[in-house]
Amino acid sequence: MGDEIPLDEKSRRMRDLLSSFYKAASNSPKSPSLDTINSSSFDPDVYMNLLIQQSNLEGLLQRHVEMAAEIKNLDTDLQMLVYENYNKFISATETIKRMKNNIVGMEANMEQLLDKIMSVQSKSDGVNTSLFERREHIEKLHQTRNLLRQVQFIYDLPTRLGKCIKSEAYADAVRFFTGATPIFEAYGESSFRDCKKASEEAMGIVVKNLQAKLYSDSEPVLAKAEAVVLLKRLDYPVDSLKIKLLEKLKCLLPELQIEFREAEATVSISDEASKTGPHTDSLSSLPSEGSRNQVSISDFSERVRAFRIIFPDSEMQLMELTQDLFSKHFETVQQLIKKRINSANLLVMLRVIWTDLAMIDEVLPEAALLTYTLEAARGVIKQYVSSSFSHLLLDVSESLKRVQNKPKEGSAEDSTLQIALESGKKAVIQGSMDLLLDFRQLLDDSQQLLAKLRDLMIDWVQEGFQDFFRALHNHFLVFSGRNMSIKLDPALMEGQGEKVLAGLFLVLAQLSIFIEQSAIPRITEARSASFSGGGVRRYEYGPAFVPAEICRMFRSASEKFLHLYITMKTQKGSILLKKRFTTPNWVKHKEPREVHMFVDIFLQELEGIGTEVRQILPHGLVRKHIRSDSAGSTNSSRSNPMREDKMRKKNTHRTQSQLLESHLAKLFKQKMEIFTKVEHTQESVVSTIVKLCLKSLQEFVRLQTFNRSGFQQIQLDIQFLRNPLKDFVEDEAAIDFLMDEVIVGAAERCLDPIPLESAILDKLIQAKLAKIRDLRHGS
Amino acid sequence: MQGASTGIGYGLKYQARCITDVKADFDHTTFLAGTLSLKEENEVHLIRLSAPGTELICEGLFSHQHEIWDLASCPFDERIFSTVFVSGETYGAAVWKIPELYGQSNSPQLEQLVSLDAHSGKIKCILWWPSGKHDKLISIDEENLFLWSLDSSAKTAKVQSQETVGMLHNLSGGVWDPHDQNAVAAICDSSIQCWDLRTMKKTNSIEHAHVRNADYNPKKQHILVTAEDECGIRIWDLRMPKVPTHELPGHAHWTWAVRHNPEYDQLILSAGTDSAVNLWSSSAVISDDSITESSPDSPTRQIDPLVCSYSDYEDSVYGLAWSSREPWIFASLSYDGRVVVESVKHFLPKN
Repeated sequence: MGDEIPLDEKSRRMRDLLSSFYKAASNSPKSPSLDTINSSSFDPDVYMNLLIQQSNLEGLLQRHVEMAAEIKNLDTDLQMLVYENYNKFISATETIKRMKNNIVGMEANMEQLLDKIMSVQSKSDGVNTSLFERREHIEKLHQTRNLLRQVQFIYDLPTRLGKCIKSEAYADAVRFFTGATPIFEAYGESSFRDCKKASEEAMGIVVKNLQAKLYSDSEPVLAKAEAVVLLKRLDYPVDSLKIKLLEKLKCLLPELQIEFREAEATVSISDEASKTGPHTDSLSSLPSEGSRNQVSISDFSERVRAFRIIFPDSEMQLMELTQDLFSKHFETVQQLIKKRINSANLLVMLRVIWTDLAMIDEVLPEAALLTYTLEAARGVIKQYVSSSFSHLLLDVSESLKRVQNKPKEGSAEDSTLQIALESGKKAVIQGSMDLLLDFRQLLDDSQQLLAKLRDLMIDWVQEGFQDFFRALHNHFLVFSGRNMSIKLDPALMEGQGEKVLAGLFLVLAQLSIFIEQSAIPRITEARSASFSGGGVRRYEYGPAFVPAEICRMFRSASEKFLHLYITMKTQKGSILLKKRFTTPNWVKHKEPREVHMFVDIFLQELEGIGTEVRQILPHGLVRKHIRSDSAGSTNSSRSNPMREDKMRKKNTHRTQSQLLESHLAKLFKQKMEIFTKVEHTQESVVSTIVKLCLKSLQEFVRLQTFNRSGFQQIQLDIQFLRNPLKDFVEDEAAIDFLMDEVIVGAAERCLDPIPLESAILDKLIQAKLAKIRDLRHGS
Repeated sequence: MQGASTGIGYGLKYQARCITDVKADFDHTTFLAGTLSLKEENEVHLIRLSAPGTELICEGLFSHQHEIWDLASCPFDERIFSTVFVSGETYGAAVWKIPELYGQSNSPQLEQLVSLDAHSGKIKCILWWPSGKHDKLISIDEENLFLWSLDSSAKTAKVQSQETVGMLHNLSGGVWDPHDQNAVAAICDSSIQCWDLRTMKKTNSIEHAHVRNADYNPKKQHILVTAEDECGIRIWDLRMPKVPTHELPGHAHWTWAVRHNPEYDQLILSAGTDSAVNLWSSSAVISDDSITESSPDSPTRQIDPLVCSYSDYEDSVYGLAWSSREPWIFASLSYDGRVVVESVKHFLPKN
């Protein structure tokens, strides 16, 4: 309990404080409890107590004085108020009394007014009824008059129309006629028949005139348009008119087309001429062609514009029409591209197309001709690029095919391969350069159409080169592939063609080298000079033209062809050797009398290869010093005279010991590098072939069994071959080694390996040489 | 001189051309090699690879009078083999049996089971059916094809049928199809002819092929690999004999012999007269082809089909044999009589 009291007090104080704050403004000097004196809930006892408690006597006295004064004031105030209000009340009662008096007389006046109004109404009713009949009559008359006026108009219509026709006021005529049409429709069959007929006839004339106006070229476009509007208002089938007009426009198209073609034809002709004459001639003649063309196209575009104005809703047809025109343009261009044109002509044509386009686009922007043409031009240029590359390919292959066909004449054979190679080289490099120049012309042209395609074109050209070389490579392979199949055909293998084909391989090999080593760098250089940029092609595909890749391709191709050549030649040698070794019975061979004739054939073959190779392949480095070195090394173990001595001495138990000896020799000798890498030189190729043939000879020897004479025959043949072969070959050591191997092989396969005496050997060889000399003399 | 060779060598006394795998020896990796000496007594070596595979041991040495031009081991009896031999001008062919060895290897005499003496021309080879027990033998000479019925226990062989192919063809060898007991491919001058042994009629032929050696694919029927002088190695599908399915470059000189690996048929081994043995992967060729066909834009991805070239030989290599027991091992024999056994284990396709 004790706790609650302070809390109560505290809250009350708070309340007091708050209320004092809010009410301080009104009665500030008084204590809060004293202000209740003015409120409705004033309690005099409480007030008194409070006052007594709070104030001292003096204060109370003062308060009493104050209060008495206040009460006195209040009394007088009250009195004043009562007086004032009383006065007002009195004046109000007086006013009411006066009003009462005024209202008493008003009622009689109102009754009077009512009576008068009643009488007015009755009188006006009377007037109205008396006038009604007449008014109706007047209205009827008015209607009749209107009708009569219309009838009059209709009866007048034909003459009026005639007047209109005379004054060419077709618009009025149409307006009149359309005004009269409902009546004609209602009464045309009965009362106004003649009139209708007459006016319709007149309208027929109007329509005819309007049509004539439409078709006549001299009329202004606006007049035409008006005519069409009028015709339309007459329910005339305007669409058919439109179709007719379109037909007319279409008729114009082939003319345009023809002119275009003429322009091209003259272009190509003039260009043909300019090939001999100066180039400027054709260029000067070109603009005139263009301008002529321009006249007709401007005419066409004017017509299109007129058409559009006349038939405002005809865009679709016109678009079709113009697109047709341009697609035809591009068709002709494409056809011409197929016939091989150069870029100048292409440019002229494109320029013509561009000017046409500009004109028509101005007239008919909705047709989106720009995009359409751009698309078509893109196609055309792409086709042009690819077709020119394919032409180039054709040229190159043509020049190569000449190798195959020509040499049948035989006499000029010496240099055909060379000619072929040169023409092939020329075809490749000149063709590519021309192409580049050509494309460059295209690129440098400032036409807007081409400028937009510039980047694309650069890419196409690059791609084109890449594809061209790839195609060329494939083409070469096809050449070789086809020849392979021919080669495998035994009937043809012996034929005349074979040699030529082998030569072709040589040409191809060298051409590939040429492409790799000089053509590609040159083209790359020229290309980078003028065809930088591009790159529209997406990056992940990499650059379009990769010279390194092409180079690699052709390098491997050239090696392949060289190998093919060597293979073919070696094969021929092998066949010769096979015949030589499989036909005779070596076990029953007779004493050698002379060098076998296969040697002649073999040497002849080598001679042939030599001439072929000399035409095409370059000389290699002469490496005499190396040759002598390596010869020395072989001689140390396998010197020829030494062996022959040995052979002579140790016939009896030779085989075993000889085998051992040759093993030993091999052990101490550097392994003979017989199959070295072929280089693109005359010497390398010939010596490779010789080496391969000698190796084959060795293998054939090993497959046979010889008697002494057989062995001696081999010995004689090889001995004879030694000297002439060295003329062909750069690597004498290897040849010596291989020939020794042949003799060793023959000795191993001989039942009784006693070599010929060197004197007899010499004699026989001399005899053979003499015979050859005689033959040469004889011939 | 040996270079970095991993090969294990073994020297024959004389020159030699023939080596063969002893297929029926399931316990050891064994090869038979025969010498080719014109004037001396020739030998047949039974060579066994020691268990750790580091050494070649002569397990038996048998004298064989005439020089051996062809040697074939019986695929179902390790002690039986056949030879084709020449003495002077006369050719002979025989089936031999290796006598019981009882440990010692001092030249016991070979027992001649049968002499296949119906031939008159130059005998080229004798063929056993490679896939298992089959009592037939084929012998081929230049003009004839003989089918023998062999009874090794009774030591008799009868000519069951014979066909003369004619003078012009000039047979030089043959292969027996491991998938078909009745199909034999005979190699002649300018073609490969497939014969049906039941009718002795030619069924098929690959024309224009100048083949020196051929081998059937042991896993895939109709696939034949050929070695040619000029064109290297070609793989044919006999159902489409016009064009080879693949070509491999072959050797610098003639490719003399070619063999499919008995297990990993995409591995092809070839021996050449350029003193080298080449290991090829035909799968590389196949995948290479498919790549170039599908996307000609990526020639950079060409794979060299040549897996490895073993060139540690002093002379032409004529003999070549895979081991059927350990199919990653092959033996090669060069003309100077050196047997080299190599392992191709690290080239095997990893599965």
